[in-house]
Amino acid sequence: MDALGALLLAAGLSGYVVAAAAGLLTARRGAIAVTLSFGLGAMAAASVGAAAMVSLLTHSAGNDATLQLLPTMIPSLRFSIRLDPLGAFFAVIVSLVALALSIYSVGYARHYVGRKNVGILGAFFNLLLLATTLVFLADNVFFFLLAWEIMALSAYCLVSFEHEVDEARSAGVLYFVMSHIGTGCLILGFFLLSQAAGAYNFASFHALGEKMAAGPRNAAFLLFLAGFGIKAGIVPVHVWLPAAHPVAPSNVSALMSGVLIKTGIYGLARVLFDFMGTPPNWWGVTVLALGTVSAVLGVLYALMEHDLKRLLAYHSVENIGIILMGLGASLMFLHTGHKALAALALAAGLYHTINHAVFKALLFLGAGAVLQSTGTRNMEEMGGLIRRLPRTAFFFLVGAVAISALPPLNGFVSEWLTYQALLRGFDATPSLFRLMFPLAGAMLALTGALAAACFVKAFGITFLAQPRSEAAARAHEVGPAMLIGQGILAGACVLLGLFPVAFLTLLDPVIAQLAGHPLAAELSLAGGLVLSSGAAGPGTVSTLGILMTGVALLSLPLAWRLVHARREQTRTGPTWDCGLAGLTPRMEYTATGFSKPIRMIFKALFRPHREVQREYDFSPYFAKTLRFESHTEEIFQTRIYRPLHGFVLRFSRRLRALQAGSLQAYLMYVFAMLLGLLLFAL
Amino acid sequence: MTAPAASSAIAAQLIALFAVLMLVLQLLLVGQRMLLTSIRLFALQSLFLAGIAAVIAFFHGAFHVFVVAVLTVAGKVLFLPWLLDRQVRRMRIGQEIEPLLNFPTSMVVCAALTLFGYILARPFTALERLGNNTLAVAMALVLTGIFLMFNRRKAITQVLAWLTVENGVMLAAVALTTYGMPLVVELGIFFDVIVAVMVLGILVYRIRDTFASMDTSKLRQLKG
Amino acid sequence: MIALALQTLLLLGLSPLVTGAIRLGKARLQNRRGPPLWQPYADLAKFLRKDMVVSEHASWIFSVAPYIVFVTALLAGLMVPMVSVAAPLSLFGGALALVGLLALGRFFLALGGLDPASAFGGMGSSREMTIAAIAEPAMMLAIFTVALAAGSTDLTRIVQTTLEPAWGLANPMHVLAFAALFIVLLAETGRIPIDNPATHLELTMIHEAMLLEYSGRQLALMEWGASIKQLVLMTLLVNIFFPAGIATEITPTALGAGLLAYAAKLLLLSTAIVLVETTNAKLRLFRVPDLLSIAFAVALLALFSTFLFP
Repeated sequence: MDALGALLLAAGLSGYVVAAAAGLLTARRGAIAVTLSFGLGAMAAASVGAAAMVSLLTHSAGNDATLQLLPTMIPSLRFSIRLDPLGAFFAVIVSLVALALSIYSVGYARHYVGRKNVGILGAFFNLLLLATTLVFLADNVFFFLLAWEIMALSAYCLVSFEHEVDEARSAGVLYFVMSHIGTGCLILGFFLLSQAAGAYNFASFHALGEKMAAGPRNAAFLLFLAGFGIKAGIVPVHVWLPAAHPVAPSNVSALMSGVLIKTGIYGLARVLFDFMGTPPNWWGVTVLALGTVSAVLGVLYALMEHDLKRLLAYHSVENIGIILMGLGASLMFLHTGHKALAALALAAGLYHTINHAVFKALLFLGAGAVLQSTGTRNMEEMGGLIRRLPRTAFFFLVGAVAISALPPLNGFVSEWLTYQALLRGFDATPSLFRLMFPLAGAMLALTGALAAACFVKAFGITFLAQPRSEAAARAHEVGPAMLIGQGILAGACVLLGLFPVAFLTLLDPVIAQLAGHPLAAELSLAGGLVLSSGAAGPGTVSTLGILMTGVALLSLPLAWRLVHARREQTRTGPTWDCGLAGLTPRMEYTATGFSKPIRMIFKALFRPHREVQREYDFSPYFAKTLRFESHTEEIFQTRIYRPLHGFVLRFSRRLRALQAGSLQAYLMYVFAMLLGLLLFAL
Repeated sequence: MTAPAASSAIAAQLIALFAVLMLVLQLLLVGQRMLLTSIRLFALQSLFLAGIAAVIAFFHGAFHVFVVAVLTVAGKVLFLPWLLDRQVRRMRIGQEIEPLLNFPTSMVVCAALTLFGYILARPFTALERLGNNTLAVAMALVLTGIFLMFNRRKAITQVLAWLTVENGVMLAAVALTTYGMPLVVELGIFFDVIVAVMVLGILVYRIRDTFASMDTSKLRQLKG
Repeated sequence: MIALALQTLLLLGLSPLVTGAIRLGKARLQNRRGPPLWQPYADLAKFLRKDMVVSEHASWIFSVAPYIVFVTALLAGLMVPMVSVAAPLSLFGGALALVGLLALGRFFLALGGLDPASAFGGMGSSREMTIAAIAEPAMMLAIFTVALAAGSTDLTRIVQTTLEPAWGLANPMHVLAFAALFIVLLAETGRIPIDNPATHLELTMIHEAMLLEYSGRQLALMEWGASIKQLVLMTLLVNIFFPAGIATEITPTALGAGLLAYAAKLLLLSTAIVLVETTNAKLRLFRVPDLLSIAFAVALLALFSTFLFP
């Protein structure tokens, strides 16, 4: 990296600090704090993003840029960062999203002015961005863990920002506990690694797994899978995610769902591909299976939600699953030594990582705009917003099409790559494990179709038809800053969808670093306009070509329309109401009704139960009042976490006997412990 | 018959096709709740079994296997279905009640059992005379047949399920041994089956008389 | 370019005919006289010339949806080999893009159903998306199985592979994948065990319920799009599994013979659909998963049989 890059990076990182400080200093004057801290944050993000991009573009193998941030007094804690391709790639993701989010926040945070301390919001927001960036760049175990903890704590503060709401407080605590269980696993995992390496910097961990004994190696795998899995929100350790993401302010939700959970993916990619060497088969099998389960369950639970932000949070579980499918397949190919396939599967996973960051952030921003202008997250109280918030609706639609993996946007391209990797993997693996690939493909198809169903619901119920409440009828479009933020991300969705080869070229150093096989040249056909899935050309796709042909074909009906338009009259009339006195919003299909068929088909999973109370005078068909209640059950909550919670409480109650309150007793414990340790040392 | 290699390739393909169709019919049986249709599906499955026997007899010149084919058609395609059909009509019951596992789950279980059958049969592929995995299909038929037996409640369906298990056993015999078992053994099994079904038929009738139902889970009431 | 234009014309021209043929066949089997074969053309021509009535609650999504449904169906059709083995758009996408494009059309179709604030439209959208979702795994598994044998998701290549003589007609994998895709075809095109295309009762509608509010040009595009989609899926079935007669070179005789063979194969498949539609009753909505799970299991067997009968 040249001097300019280093300067940009240093400026960006210190920019976050300045932005955070500016937020705190001007906290008393709300509007200024908002503009200053988020505006500076946007500039810092642009600067870091530019530096990471430059380093990714100009990267030459074995020549990673390193930088010492601060002098240090403590041995082995070195504040050193290294811009290798993997770190730089994730830094690009966080910076891109952060740029859009900061611009959006300039508008969004205004509605907290006067109610809450926006200076704190800005400060923690920038601190979170700084910590997340450092997680991706840290080159030292202690520095990594430090950044990881700052990230977790500032996220905790942001989740509980609206602490007067019960839900936010309990979600914050849940997040805090889960996050620290995860960190515990990571510390143990890194302990195993550094014991084997005899050092603490990441550069010395490269391909360390080859030298480790099978026992510690597998233990490290499981610890990292658990630790990073909790952060990423893999089923069954996902429970904190749908609780914590929705209650945070929407810009923070977007950051958490878009980027924060990707630190888990980054960690897995870093450890499994960079540190662990050639993996045994069962690692890949485990990751692929977990990914598949997460994808299907995530989208199924999302369908049951009618809280817009919770719905989006569950979709993060789904998309993390899709990313893991790519990573898991890649690990299986690395095991069998198929480097080109491993590269393809990894590219699919990482491509989906940036795609999900972009469209999920976009969707959360849309949800935030809706929340701000209607004051509710409940979809059953929305409707008709496309007329009140036309631009937000359009951006949300772009995000919905992208996340449903529909061509020509970016979600389609990365899922297409995933399918291709799975398909080609069938012949690469001789054992019966190869059956996993087509089955995972079928489950991916199920996931995609259910996601489309879910976003028909999310977009249709929220934005279409008649407003279902007073608040929705009186909603109004949000300000320009918020629209620009959404526009940037929507544009990114389109570009990432239409020019996949250009993006894969950017990704190529990462693939070469992790899978040992550069890919971009193989995947590019027709001068980069067509994406192929391998040298032998097993499948090709061109979203740009599809779009262009589609536009050309559109000329057929449009030409007819032009010819005919002169003689035509379009009248506006009421919707067919079976001859009643007119449709009211209460007759519209609800979000709960929309997902009812799915709920019934998968009732073994959801265990729906309902209660109907009706009061009537003479016949049950003419009810005076009707009360309908329906619930679904989160089986992970009721079957795993609640019993576990109960057990921990009961166990702690037993342990309380030790806490007698007598000083002598405590001293005796210390003495006993000391004796025990000395005995152990003998 | 043309060149032996080509004709045996055709034979192998036909056998594979018929075997797979037997398996598909088994799946349809698992997914079928109308009793009369189930009986017809079973008859069709038996027809394909007879087809396999006929193909072997024709292409390998083992003409005693023809006898098996003819007997299968007479017994399992015509006689037994007619018998069961009459019984179902006499008892005026059209439908199976809700099975223990719902249909989609049953389907997944059956697919898994088929895979398991394949894994079980893998060590024996070298022993097979037909040169392909007919034994795996036979295993799958037996396993899914037993699954069908405990997944249903009506005695008639259980009899049908047992018959499909028997079809699987026949298929295995054809696949593993030299063009079918000795004729005497086949005949013995065959008449056993016929007699057994007739006995079971009477028993079903008795169950219904006693409990006014064909639901075998009611048999639990018999204990003291 | 010429191939593209010709195939577009073929898709546009042939699709109403197939719809009409199936309708006529059904009527004849039910001892009715039935509408004439060209009735769908007459319907389209009428709709195209009529004025439109648009719901007062509808937004621009409602007006855009018909165009997207129409164009995505056409695009998907251009990726399938019809008369000649070389599909015009095969470079731009294969089986996966086809599934994706149809899904895009369905997405907007369902949004168009929700837009006019009618309960029927919402119900149709909900059911359409549900059935599509549970049909998808069976469809993808069957396509995967065929693609595995060909080593490619490119439909031209898949058809070329199945054209090779080594692929006997009686290949078990072939038969099973066909059976699975046939059930999926019934589900995707709204045929009888799953949806009744001729129903007049709003509560039993799925596809029709979403179109209730459409009229004039927009209705024409929606109906035409649905016909094209049906033709595309039928073409997929006949040409992947029975590629016999398809033109492998671009000469007038080969193309002519290919066209004849194609028409004959389509007629056979339409007959099969007609038979299924007349001999079956519509399933209750919550029995549809049973049927589709059979399709999924059959597709799984198809996958297993790739190594059961190598």
